[in-house]
Amino acid sequence: MKANECMQVLAKNRGDAVVVCALGMAANEWWAVTKSEDSFYMHGGMGLASTFALGLAIAIPDTPVWVINSDGGLCMNTGTLLTEAGQQQRNMKHFVVDNQCYQTVETMPMVNQDGADYTVMARGAGFQRAITIDNLADLDRKMPEIVAAPGPYFIRLRVEAEPDYQRTPPATYEGPELKYRFGRAMEKKLGIKVFGPRGF
Amino acid sequence: MDVNDKIHAQLVKAGVRLAASLPDDWVNTLINKISAGNQIRHVSVGREAETIAVCAGAFFGGVRSVAIFGNTGLLTCTGEMATLCLRHAIPVFCIVSGRGSIDDHKVYQEVQGRRTIPLLQAYDYPFKILDKEEEIEDIPNAYEWHRLQKRPFILFLTKKLLGTNA
Repeated sequence: MKANECMQVLAKNRGDAVVVCALGMAANEWWAVTKSEDSFYMHGGMGLASTFALGLAIAIPDTPVWVINSDGGLCMNTGTLLTEAGQQQRNMKHFVVDNQCYQTVETMPMVNQDGADYTVMARGAGFQRAITIDNLADLDRKMPEIVAAPGPYFIRLRVEAEPDYQRTPPATYEGPELKYRFGRAMEKKLGIKVFGPRGF
Repeated sequence: MDVNDKIHAQLVKAGVRLAASLPDDWVNTLINKISAGNQIRHVSVGREAETIAVCAGAFFGGVRSVAIFGNTGLLTCTGEMATLCLRHAIPVFCIVSGRGSIDDHKVYQEVQGRRTIPLLQAYDYPFKILDKEEEIEDIPNAYEWHRLQKRPFILFLTKKLLGTNA
């Protein structure tokens, strides 16, 4: 299955979830499918998307929080699985888009490309629910159960590497603007205050 | 009320409700007090940069937070602080042990003592060295100020302040 097709299935099942996207191809595909402003597209901090999402999930415990992570990001900081599992945050789901390559940097091969199983790693770190999905039919069938189950839940999405690595462009705004758009979207969606009365 | 109780109380007064930490023996007492209390939720992480990410995420949920760790960890995560917090202008309040000071003679803290401040200055991360007990009550002010700075802020706790023998 292809990453864009995965994002379409995830978007269809999203409900009220707030989404955090790791820097890279999956974030671009999520933007292409949803144009979602109540999603945060990380421009840096590679390897920290799931921990960022954990902090957000703790802050808004009544709202589902999904992280759409990259395999490269996970490989950069696999210890985040321990941190996440240690908190057992019930409103958090962790999707990893696994294409076994660094797609946005000319599809260079992922470290230990054929030898790693991130789902087994997640179980070893303490996730009670961790699965691999490698075809669209299974993803479509499993999503209602994934949405309904308590977190933490780790879902490895095994997708094809696509050679046209710059096919899907990133979100059309960046850095500080993304902060304010996402923060204001959170205020509007959840009725919370992210920024103070003078905007900071 | 000892120094760590006072710091804890001032964090609560500043509105902090979440702390992410990785141990260092100078700040472990503060971490343990936060963890044992019920006013600030505590998250243990595996690497210091994760404390920054937890706090950055919590910011967007409207929750005030603090990252607590040692000076060595600060050196390890300044790059991630830049690519996440400077890139997106996200404030993160850090409490860090001021290891490597002239009264800290641990050989494995020596480089941190010499190079941390110049590194913070290179990144333009604001910081304050807290070594007087009467300054602890400035923490709520510092918290408001760091939000205005829209970047990581480091509050160093000194050996003199903490009275530690470690």
